[in-house]
Amino acid sequence: MTNAPPPPDLKRESFEREALVHLDVLYRVALRLSGNPSDADDLVQETMLKAYRAWDQYEKGTNAKAWLLTILRHAFINEYRRRTRHPETVDLDKIEPYAVFPEVQDEDPQGAFFDRIVDDQVLRAIDQLPVVFRETLVLSDVEGMSYQEIAGILEIPVGTVKSRLFRARHLLQGKLYDYAVEMGYIKGSPA
Amino acid sequence: MNCRECVEHLYEFLDRELTPDLEREIRDHLEDCPPCGEQYDFEELFLKFLRARCRTQGAPAELKKRVLRELFGE
Repeated sequence: MTNAPPPPDLKRESFEREALVHLDVLYRVALRLSGNPSDADDLVQETMLKAYRAWDQYEKGTNAKAWLLTILRHAFINEYRRRTRHPETVDLDKIEPYAVFPEVQDEDPQGAFFDRIVDDQVLRAIDQLPVVFRETLVLSDVEGMSYQEIAGILEIPVGTVKSRLFRARHLLQGKLYDYAVEMGYIKGSPA
Repeated sequence: MNCRECVEHLYEFLDRELTPDLEREIRDHLEDCPPCGEQYDFEELFLKFLRARCRTQGAPAELKKRVLRELFGE
Protein backbone atom coordinates (compact mmCIF):
# COMPACT_ATOMS: atom_id res chain seq x y z
CA MET A 1 0.00 0.00 0.00
CA THR A 2 1.37 3.41 -0.91
CA ASN A 3 1.29 6.46 1.27
CA ALA A 4 -0.74 8.61 -1.08
CA PRO A 5 -1.68 12.05 0.24
CA PRO A 6 -5.25 12.04 1.59
CA PRO A 7 -7.98 13.48 -0.63
CA PRO A 8 -8.48 17.23 -0.12
CA ASP A 9 -11.75 16.98 1.81
CA LEU A 10 -10.20 14.60 4.36
CA LYS A 11 -7.18 16.83 4.68
CA ARG A 12 -9.42 19.80 5.22
CA GLU A 13 -11.54 17.96 7.72
CA SER A 14 -8.59 16.86 9.86
CA PHE A 15 -7.01 20.31 9.60
CA GLU A 16 -10.18 21.95 10.81
CA ARG A 17 -10.55 19.49 13.64
CA GLU A 18 -6.95 19.54 14.86
CA ALA A 19 -5.45 22.84 13.76
CA LEU A 20 -8.10 25.49 13.24
CA VAL A 21 -9.47 24.91 16.73
CA HIS A 22 -6.26 26.51 18.03
CA LEU A 23 -6.79 29.80 16.26
CA ASP A 24 -7.46 31.69 19.51
CA VAL A 25 -4.27 30.37 21.12
CA LEU A 26 -2.22 31.25 18.05
CA TYR A 27 -3.70 34.72 17.93
CA ARG A 28 -3.03 35.44 21.62
CA VAL A 29 0.57 34.27 21.35
CA ALA A 30 1.08 36.15 18.06
CA LEU A 31 -0.30 39.30 19.62
CA ARG A 32 2.08 39.13 22.57
CA LEU A 33 5.05 38.31 20.35
CA SER A 34 4.44 40.91 17.64
CA GLY A 35 2.95 43.57 19.86
CA ASN A 36 0.15 44.71 17.55
CA PRO A 37 -3.08 43.28 16.09
CA SER A 38 -2.22 43.79 12.45
CA ASP A 39 1.10 41.93 12.65
CA ALA A 40 -0.57 39.26 14.78
CA ASP A 41 -3.18 38.74 12.03
CA ASP A 42 -0.46 38.33 9.41
CA LEU A 43 1.55 36.02 11.62
CA VAL A 44 -1.42 33.74 12.27
CA GLN A 45 -2.41 33.76 8.60
CA GLU A 46 1.12 32.81 7.57
CA THR A 47 1.29 30.11 10.24
CA MET A 48 -1.96 28.52 9.08
CA LEU A 49 -0.87 28.56 5.44
CA LYS A 50 2.46 26.96 6.26
CA ALA A 51 0.78 24.43 8.53
CA TYR A 52 -1.76 23.46 5.90
CA ARG A 53 0.95 22.99 3.31
CA ALA A 54 2.95 20.83 5.71
CA TRP A 55 -0.09 19.04 7.16
CA ASP A 56 0.91 15.67 5.71
CA GLN A 57 4.10 15.82 7.80
CA TYR A 58 2.21 16.34 11.04
CA GLU A 59 1.53 13.09 12.84
CA LYS A 60 -2.22 13.22 13.41
CA GLY A 61 -3.49 13.03 16.94
CA THR A 62 -0.21 14.11 18.54
CA ASN A 63 0.26 17.70 19.76
CA ALA A 64 -1.09 20.01 17.08
CA LYS A 65 -1.02 23.03 19.38
CA ALA A 66 2.71 22.70 20.06
CA TRP A 67 3.39 21.95 16.39
CA LEU A 68 1.51 25.08 15.29
CA LEU A 69 3.19 27.25 17.89
CA THR A 70 6.60 26.07 16.70
CA ILE A 71 5.70 27.15 13.17
CA LEU A 72 4.36 30.45 14.46
CA ARG A 73 7.50 31.17 16.42
CA HIS A 74 9.76 30.42 13.46
CA ALA A 75 7.67 32.71 11.30
CA PHE A 76 7.93 35.39 13.94
CA ILE A 77 11.70 35.08 14.22
CA ASN A 78 12.28 34.97 10.48
CA GLU A 79 10.07 37.72 9.28
CA TYR A 80 8.85 39.85 12.13
CA ARG A 81 11.33 40.23 14.90
CA ARG A 82 13.83 42.28 12.95
CA ARG A 83 11.13 44.24 11.16
CA THR A 84 8.82 45.09 14.02
CA ARG A 85 11.10 45.50 16.98
CA HIS A 86 14.58 46.77 17.47
CA PRO A 87 16.93 43.92 18.27
CA GLU A 88 17.08 43.57 22.00
CA THR A 89 20.31 44.64 23.55
CA VAL A 90 19.24 43.73 27.06
CA ASP A 91 21.71 41.64 29.00
CA LEU A 92 19.33 39.11 30.50
CA ASP A 93 21.76 38.04 33.17
CA LYS A 94 21.89 41.58 34.47
CA ILE A 95 18.15 41.67 35.04
CA GLU A 96 17.70 40.81 38.66
CA PRO A 97 14.02 40.48 39.37
CA TYR A 98 13.06 40.65 43.00
CA ALA A 99 10.34 38.70 44.73
CA VAL A 100 7.28 40.81 45.43
CA PHE A 101 5.89 38.62 48.19
CA PRO A 102 8.29 39.83 50.92
CA GLU A 103 7.31 43.42 50.02
CA VAL A 104 3.59 42.82 50.48
CA GLN A 105 3.77 40.16 53.16
CA ASP A 106 2.64 42.51 55.92
CA GLU A 107 0.28 44.79 54.07
CA ASP A 108 -1.44 42.49 51.59
CA PRO A 109 -0.27 38.86 51.83
CA GLN A 110 -3.38 37.73 49.93
CA GLY A 111 -2.36 39.82 46.92
CA ALA A 112 -5.74 41.60 46.84
CA PHE A 113 -4.10 44.47 44.93
CA PHE A 114 -3.87 42.24 41.85
CA ASP A 115 -7.65 42.25 41.59
CA ARG A 116 -7.67 45.98 40.98
CA ILE A 117 -5.34 45.77 37.99
CA VAL A 118 -7.31 45.61 34.72
CA ASP A 119 -6.63 43.31 31.74
CA ASP A 120 -5.03 45.97 29.54
CA GLN A 121 -2.55 46.94 32.20
CA VAL A 122 -1.49 43.33 32.69
CA LEU A 123 -1.04 42.83 28.95
CA ARG A 124 0.96 46.06 28.71
CA ALA A 125 3.24 44.87 31.51
CA ILE A 126 3.76 41.53 29.74
CA ASP A 127 4.60 43.35 26.51
CA GLN A 128 7.37 45.20 28.31
CA LEU A 129 9.18 41.99 29.24
CA PRO A 130 12.23 41.02 27.15
CA VAL A 131 11.02 38.71 24.39
CA VAL A 132 12.67 35.53 25.75
CA PHE A 133 10.87 36.02 29.06
CA ARG A 134 7.64 37.07 27.39
CA GLU A 135 7.35 34.05 25.12
CA THR A 136 8.08 31.63 27.97
CA LEU A 137 5.59 33.26 30.30
CA VAL A 138 2.83 33.45 27.69
CA LEU A 139 3.17 29.80 26.70
CA SER A 140 3.13 28.71 30.33
CA ASP A 141 0.90 31.09 32.19
CA VAL A 142 -1.56 32.13 29.53
CA GLU A 143 -1.74 28.96 27.45
CA GLY A 144 -0.97 26.42 30.17
CA MET A 145 1.73 24.45 28.35
CA SER A 146 4.11 22.11 30.17
CA TYR A 147 7.84 22.79 30.59
CA GLN A 148 8.53 19.98 28.14
CA GLU A 149 6.20 21.42 25.51
CA ILE A 150 7.67 24.89 25.94
CA ALA A 151 11.21 23.52 25.69
CA GLY A 152 10.23 21.89 22.40
CA ILE A 153 8.65 25.01 20.95
CA LEU A 154 11.43 27.37 22.02
CA GLU A 155 14.18 24.83 21.32
CA ILE A 156 15.82 25.28 24.72
CA PRO A 157 16.51 22.85 27.60
CA VAL A 158 13.81 22.32 30.24
CA GLY A 159 16.14 23.83 32.85
CA THR A 160 16.24 27.05 30.85
CA VAL A 161 12.44 27.10 30.67
CA LYS A 162 12.36 26.82 34.45
CA SER A 163 14.81 29.63 35.09
CA ARG A 164 13.26 31.93 32.48
CA LEU A 165 9.83 31.33 33.88
CA PHE A 166 10.99 32.02 37.41
CA ARG A 167 12.56 35.31 36.38
CA ALA A 168 9.75 36.29 34.02
CA ARG A 169 7.14 35.85 36.73
CA HIS A 170 9.10 37.84 39.26
CA LEU A 171 9.84 40.55 36.75
CA LEU A 172 6.16 40.81 35.86
CA GLN A 173 5.12 40.81 39.51
CA GLY A 174 7.58 43.65 40.10
CA LYS A 175 6.09 45.69 37.26
CA LEU A 176 2.54 45.11 38.44
CA TYR A 177 3.50 45.87 42.02
CA ASP A 178 5.14 49.16 41.00
CA TYR A 179 2.03 50.04 39.03
CA ALA A 180 -0.23 49.18 41.97
CA VAL A 181 1.86 51.39 44.26
CA GLU A 182 1.77 54.21 41.72
CA MET A 183 -2.02 53.93 41.47
CA GLY A 184 -2.38 53.83 45.23
CA TYR A 185 -3.85 50.30 45.27
CA ILE A 186 -1.23 49.40 47.81
CA LYS A 187 0.99 51.56 49.99
CA GLY A 188 4.27 49.71 49.60
CA SER A 189 7.47 51.34 48.42
CA PRO A 190 8.27 51.32 44.70
CA ALA A 191 11.38 49.33 43.93
CA MET B 1 13.53 20.68 53.13
CA ASN B 2 14.17 24.20 54.38
CA CYS B 3 12.37 27.44 53.48
CA ARG B 4 14.90 28.50 50.86
CA GLU B 5 14.61 25.19 49.02
CA CYS B 6 10.85 25.28 49.30
CA VAL B 7 10.59 28.77 47.79
CA GLU B 8 13.05 27.80 45.07
CA HIS B 9 10.79 24.96 43.94
CA LEU B 10 7.48 26.69 44.56
CA TYR B 11 6.71 27.44 40.93
CA GLU B 12 7.59 23.92 39.82
CA PHE B 13 5.30 22.67 42.56
CA LEU B 14 2.47 24.94 41.40
CA ASP B 15 3.12 23.93 37.79
CA ARG B 16 2.99 20.24 38.78
CA GLU B 17 6.42 19.69 37.30
CA LEU B 18 8.15 18.04 40.27
CA THR B 19 8.94 14.40 40.88
CA PRO B 20 6.50 12.74 43.31
CA ASP B 21 9.17 12.61 46.03
CA LEU B 22 10.05 16.28 45.86
CA GLU B 23 6.40 17.17 45.58
CA ARG B 24 5.68 15.33 48.81
CA GLU B 25 8.57 17.09 50.58
CA ILE B 26 7.25 20.48 49.51
CA ARG B 27 3.70 19.63 50.54
CA ASP B 28 4.92 18.52 53.98
CA HIS B 29 6.97 21.67 54.39
CA LEU B 30 4.06 23.90 53.36
CA GLU B 31 1.84 22.26 55.94
CA ASP B 32 4.36 22.88 58.72
CA CYS B 33 5.53 26.35 57.77
CA PRO B 34 2.94 29.17 57.76
CA PRO B 35 5.18 31.81 56.06
CA CYS B 36 5.93 29.46 53.14
CA GLY B 37 2.25 28.54 53.08
CA GLU B 38 1.35 32.20 52.72
CA GLN B 39 3.83 32.63 49.91
CA TYR B 40 2.37 29.58 48.20
CA ASP B 41 -1.12 31.12 48.41
CA PHE B 42 0.18 34.39 47.03
CA GLU B 43 1.98 32.80 44.07
CA GLU B 44 -0.99 30.57 43.31
CA LEU B 45 -3.28 33.56 43.29
CA PHE B 46 -0.89 35.45 41.01
CA LEU B 47 -0.84 32.64 38.44
CA LYS B 48 -4.64 32.33 38.48
CA PHE B 49 -4.94 36.09 38.13
CA LEU B 50 -2.59 36.10 35.13
CA ARG B 51 -4.48 33.39 33.35
CA ALA B 52 -7.83 35.03 33.97
CA ARG B 53 -6.64 38.43 32.78
CA CYS B 54 -4.91 37.25 29.63
CA ARG B 55 -7.23 34.67 28.17
CA THR B 56 -10.25 36.82 27.55
CA GLN B 57 -9.09 37.70 24.06
CA GLY B 58 -9.57 35.37 21.09
CA ALA B 59 -8.91 35.64 17.38
CA PRO B 60 -11.09 38.29 15.69
CA ALA B 61 -13.94 36.87 13.56
CA GLU B 62 -12.50 38.65 10.54
CA LEU B 63 -9.20 36.81 10.89
CA LYS B 64 -10.96 33.48 11.01
CA LYS B 65 -12.80 34.32 7.79
CA ARG B 66 -9.55 35.47 6.20
CA VAL B 67 -7.78 32.22 7.10
CA LEU B 68 -10.64 30.07 5.75
CA ARG B 69 -10.73 32.15 2.57
CA GLU B 70 -7.01 31.80 2.07
CA LEU B 71 -6.92 28.05 2.81
CA PHE B 72 -10.08 26.84 1.14
CA GLY B 73 -11.01 29.69 -1.14
CA GLU B 74 -14.16 30.54 0.80
